[in-house]
Amino acid sequence: MKAFTRKHERSVSATLAAATCALLGTTAVTPVDAQEEPEWDFNTSLLYYGEDEGRVQDASFKSIIRRLYTDDRTLSLGFTVDALTGATPSGAIRQDGPQSFTRPSGSSSYTEPAGELPLDDTFRDTRVAITAGWQQPAGEKGLLSVGASVSKEYDYLHTGVNASYAHDFNNRNTTVSAGFAFANDSIEPVGGAPIPFTNMLDVDDTSNRVGDQDKDVLDLVFGVSQVVSKNLLIQANYSLSQSDGYLNNPYKVLSLVDGVTGDTLPRTPGPNGGPSGQYLFESRPDERTQHSLYTQAKYYMNGKVLDASYRYMTDDWEIDSHTLDVRYRIPIGDASYLEPHIRYYTQSEAEFYRLSLDGSSPLPQYASSDYRLGNFDGITAGLKYGWKTRNDNDMSLRVEWYQQSGTVPVVQLIGNQAARDNYPDLNALIVQFSYRFSR
Amino acid sequence: MPQARPGRQVQLAATEHGWAGRFEAMGSPCEVLTDGGNKREVHAVVSSVAEEAWRIEDKFSRYLDGNIIHRINTANGQAVEVDAETAGLIDFAVTLFDLSGGRFDITSGVLRGAWTFDGSDNIPDQASIDALMQRIGWQHATWHESHLTLLPGMEVDLGGIGKEYAVDRCARVAQEGAGFASMVNFGGDLAVTGPPGNRRAWKIGIEGPTPEAAERLVDLRQGALATSGDARRYLERDGVRYSHILDPTTGWPVPDAPSSITVAADTCTQAGMLSTLAMLHGRDAEPFLADQGVLYWCRP
Repeated sequence: MKAFTRKHERSVSATLAAATCALLGTTAVTPVDAQEEPEWDFNTSLLYYGEDEGRVQDASFKSIIRRLYTDDRTLSLGFTVDALTGATPSGAIRQDGPQSFTRPSGSSSYTEPAGELPLDDTFRDTRVAITAGWQQPAGEKGLLSVGASVSKEYDYLHTGVNASYAHDFNNRNTTVSAGFAFANDSIEPVGGAPIPFTNMLDVDDTSNRVGDQDKDVLDLVFGVSQVVSKNLLIQANYSLSQSDGYLNNPYKVLSLVDGVTGDTLPRTPGPNGGPSGQYLFESRPDERTQHSLYTQAKYYMNGKVLDASYRYMTDDWEIDSHTLDVRYRIPIGDASYLEPHIRYYTQSEAEFYRLSLDGSSPLPQYASSDYRLGNFDGITAGLKYGWKTRNDNDMSLRVEWYQQSGTVPVVQLIGNQAARDNYPDLNALIVQFSYRFSR
Repeated sequence: MPQARPGRQVQLAATEHGWAGRFEAMGSPCEVLTDGGNKREVHAVVSSVAEEAWRIEDKFSRYLDGNIIHRINTANGQAVEVDAETAGLIDFAVTLFDLSGGRFDITSGVLRGAWTFDGSDNIPDQASIDALMQRIGWQHATWHESHLTLLPGMEVDLGGIGKEYAVDRCARVAQEGAGFASMVNFGGDLAVTGPPGNRRAWKIGIEGPTPEAAERLVDLRQGALATSGDARRYLERDGVRYSHILDPTTGWPVPDAPSSITVAADTCTQAGMLSTLAMLHGRDAEPFLADQGVLYWCRP
């Protein structure tokens, strides 16, 4: 009697396939394409984002759990915790002497050494976000998604709802989608929201603080994706975003400067401490309309995937931005891949972006020195390595560097400002570990 | 032409995505699900499929007199010349006999005379098993140039291959000339002719890993599924459970065989044979399947 042997076993499938072809009188059969529908899908990631020179550090934990039901219905629940620490530019300009500021809470002050970029070092927060989504087919070719989100920070509460519908045409080669998202955010700044263009006041003086603020954001998205060939998928989206309400950053100020020297106008701090110069809280419009056009192409070639996208965004604050993003996935063996990534971003400054305010001229209607509203370029470059574990779970490690450099328009530079670095470079390191498993 | 027999009729019903044609063959409820198609063309396709299924049943059933199986089993030691289709099935069975070290044996059907898997504790005595073992063993058969000679008392039964073979043959019938995709499902052994045009995949429910577990869903775009094992067919005595998978080299049930195994493969025949071979491995069924690199589901 012959026994099953391990050596024997490996050839069973092949022998059986040949014998079956002979039995059925065929020379070749189309290979099986079967897949078990998972019931649960867990996607977890840990992200570290760290800016250099003691600026923002963010440690973020994110988990998305999907419950997959029959007939392509999916419930998803997401949970994110961010722990933010570090310092962020207050918006005031550098000075040749030390500068003192009242903290956002209004209960104490801090001093910035001579020549340093003023940073608000009380930037410390924990953010918790919860999302829920439901997706189900609508008819034979439609897919309906609805969702809700809540997130809470110490000084911020976000609530939002969203819905979208996608419809397949043309043998599922074309998908057209439309969606909206509506968010209502309430801002509860530490110490109260300052009245725009009022001075930063002495410690314990809250006379320019008002209560909580809020804003509404409505987003509309229209998209189309097209399978061009079995190797090429392209898609394009147009989105419109309309924000209304309190759009200021309550912690950002602008230095009020001498119209000739460009130095901050001095001020005498109160007995309990306070600002050593004149710093006015920023003032932004209470409306913003953004249009953006996004195009993406994914090209599959022998297991390699080239994914390139471009986004153009323009808004009525006169910020125009361009984003080019390219990823290239290279498989290594059956179970792992390497994915280089490069992203280039550039934007022009907002119409009301000012490095400082000229104390000898009337105040403009709006002004902000927030560097994120300035003219800057950012490059992200990195590498991701992904691999499958023995039990078919996916893991990946991504390491990326971000470098941002901006410029202040020359016409905005007054006197001594021309000799200072008004828009310092920002470098950041991003490390992300992701783990995904289904069962 | 298959024999006209009572109950041999095709019923057609509309479904969400197309049509369902139903008929009975080989002791199983049989179904052809289509993705689209108009009623007239679907009826023609389902009728052709049913004709093919009934033809195979009539030709290879061991319960019918006068067919090739009956002639072989009543030859009493004489050589029987068989047609090309029967020869193909026998050649295939020989391959399986070799692959399984003699555990897959089309002459083992006579063991059913001793074993009735009805959930009772009715374990046959060794003497009656030994008596039947005298009549089993492909190695005692002579198979040469379409001539099969068995020892007197030996019988062949192609039931272990027939249904999966019929599913593949019928899937080909359903595919020929049809402008729509179909799934041919004979009592859980099934094959699809291609992906459905209007959905991502055919969705097939299979039993969960335990009797209590919810059924799992499989998306099948191409290929076939087959299941071996039947949780309702067993014997139990003194706390030992005997599966209905018999090992013809011992005459006894394979110890520790899973209660059911479902395999996905290119064809229903391959899927069915892999699940049967896995069953014959008993407690090593899963390692065997893992070695084959196929998608499978095993219920202990």
